[in-house]
Amino acid sequence: MLTGIIVYGLVNSSILLLVALGFCLTFGVSRIANFAHGAIYILFGYLMWIFLNWLKIPFLFAILLTLVLSGIFGYVAYYVAVRRVRGIVLSEVVSTFALGVGILEFFRWMGFVTYEFSLPPIKKGSLYILGFPIDYQRLIIILAAIGLVAFLYFFTHYTKLGLSFRAIAQNERTAIALGIDADRVAALSVAFGSAFASVASILVLPLGIISINSGYEALLIAIAVGIVGGLESIPGMILASLVLGFVQIVVGVYVSSAWVMVVYLLAIIVILVVMPSGLLGKFKELEERV
Amino acid sequence: MRENFLVVENVSKSFGGVKAISNVSFSLSGNSLLGIIGPNGAGKTTLINIITGFIKPDSGRVIFKGDDITGLPGYKIAEKGIARTFQIVRPFLHLPAYKNLIIPLYSKRVKSFRGGRFGDRDTVAIDLLEEVGFERDSSVPYKSASSLPHGYLKRLELARCLALQPELLILDELFSGMSMSEVAATVPIIEKLKAEGLTLIMIEHRLRELFRIADKVIVLNFGEKIAEGKPSEVIENELVKVAYLGAESA
Ligand SMILES: Nc1ncnc2c1ncn2[C@@H]1O[C@H](COP(=O)(O)OP(=O)(O)OP(=O)(O)O)[C@@H](O)[C@H]1O
Ligand SMILES: [Mg+2]
Repeated sequence: MLTGIIVYGLVNSSILLLVALGFCLTFGVSRIANFAHGAIYILFGYLMWIFLNWLKIPFLFAILLTLVLSGIFGYVAYYVAVRRVRGIVLSEVVSTFALGVGILEFFRWMGFVTYEFSLPPIKKGSLYILGFPIDYQRLIIILAAIGLVAFLYFFTHYTKLGLSFRAIAQNERTAIALGIDADRVAALSVAFGSAFASVASILVLPLGIISINSGYEALLIAIAVGIVGGLESIPGMILASLVLGFVQIVVGVYVSSAWVMVVYLLAIIVILVVMPSGLLGKFKELEERV
Repeated sequence: MRENFLVVENVSKSFGGVKAISNVSFSLSGNSLLGIIGPNGAGKTTLINIITGFIKPDSGRVIFKGDDITGLPGYKIAEKGIARTFQIVRPFLHLPAYKNLIIPLYSKRVKSFRGGRFGDRDTVAIDLLEEVGFERDSSVPYKSASSLPHGYLKRLELARCLALQPELLILDELFSGMSMSEVAATVPIIEKLKAEGLTLIMIEHRLRELFRIADKVIVLNFGEKIAEGKPSEVIENELVKVAYLGAESA
């Protein structure tokens, strides 16, 4: 039982991290809360499905195409849905949420709601860890979560674009005065956020079917992890994913799986009331206001 | 070109009902140092924000080396070689001091100057910090900007601008908040930069230091230019005495 909780806790935490990472990256860089994040996650799940099943594109090429298109989609979405309302937080949320609902309900209207809509795993089969069976897909999810965090670290520390991301995040006006185009960086941050969402969908969606509801759930996950973790610290996000991921598994085992979703909502409320900047977040805006 | 390095023509800007800048014009020749003085709220920072693209003027033009740069976005103006410090220091708080210079050292502008020198950006950054008075062999250049004393942050602002290899450097109250000895150590740095060919604009409340190094001074009051001339002339100007020096001694 304990091994099971540890293994499935890790898997669940990795899923949460994968789903939330893009949302938090975008917000951390440009303070844009992209409420279309969950819809983008589902959109590229469906597109991947279409590539594989309708267009018969080879698997690896379909992955590549999905990643590239999701990046482009995010970039364009910034200019279409966010740019004109940039800085007006409520309008940003309304605008991106409307975009998200539009995408999700479009697929519902198209009839993409049956169990045939599922993605194949990267690798079929399973193996045993400490006598406990785990399928390759879930193992890949854990490795991918670790890999993506490592990528993010190196990207933001050793590449020009990554450094621009951090500069904009820490002080937008200074970054502009040093020749950084804040608009372009914001668009790129949404692009990266979308690409991360599509990575999550390619890895996580094969565990079940692609459903409209999981788009709304993905947004909830992103918000919960972001708020619990503090939205702009990678260690915070990892910690939040672990806490939420394990609490859910424990609740699922000892209480009831019906309560699993409640964990997100409770966590959001408790954290907002008790420590509004998250477990490891800092209230940077305060310094900014001086 | 040397004559009209920077030309500001009939620039105005209002915030709501407040005329922060009204119809201000001046010009600046290359390799000179212009001082801008005036009481609090006179519009000095607003004028700088207009020149550097952070605020669009309601009317008027800004011409840099013959190009009309009015209303260009700030990052483009920075790329053209106008660097500025902020009156309220704006470091990248969660980066070490020397990493604060990495952003400008990565910029298009600097890359075109430095060719392929890819690996030694950190060294260049430390060199620049040393130039503005960070102790090279101490831990100071490696400390997070959030833990540096204010005087260092002021000099970090300066170093960050220098990293951009600007042609025009605008310093918004660089000396305020610095100790006497820090000011004394910074003045020669500015003189050296000018000797090396840089053109500078300094907004200052520390008139004694400014008047010693400025070639020309303009005086703003309630958004209007009320005087312009050599420091020695400006000191004698009656309007200035009333508006500025009077206000200060009151
Ligand atoms: N973004 C803004 N929005 C509204 N009003 C502004 C803004 N920026 C400046 N002002 C107003 O414009 C006027 C000029 O301000 P500015 O900061 O340019 O003065 P300053 O000469 O730099 O003063 P100080 O010596 O205190 O720095 C002030 O009345 C100020 O309140
Ligand atoms: Mg000012």
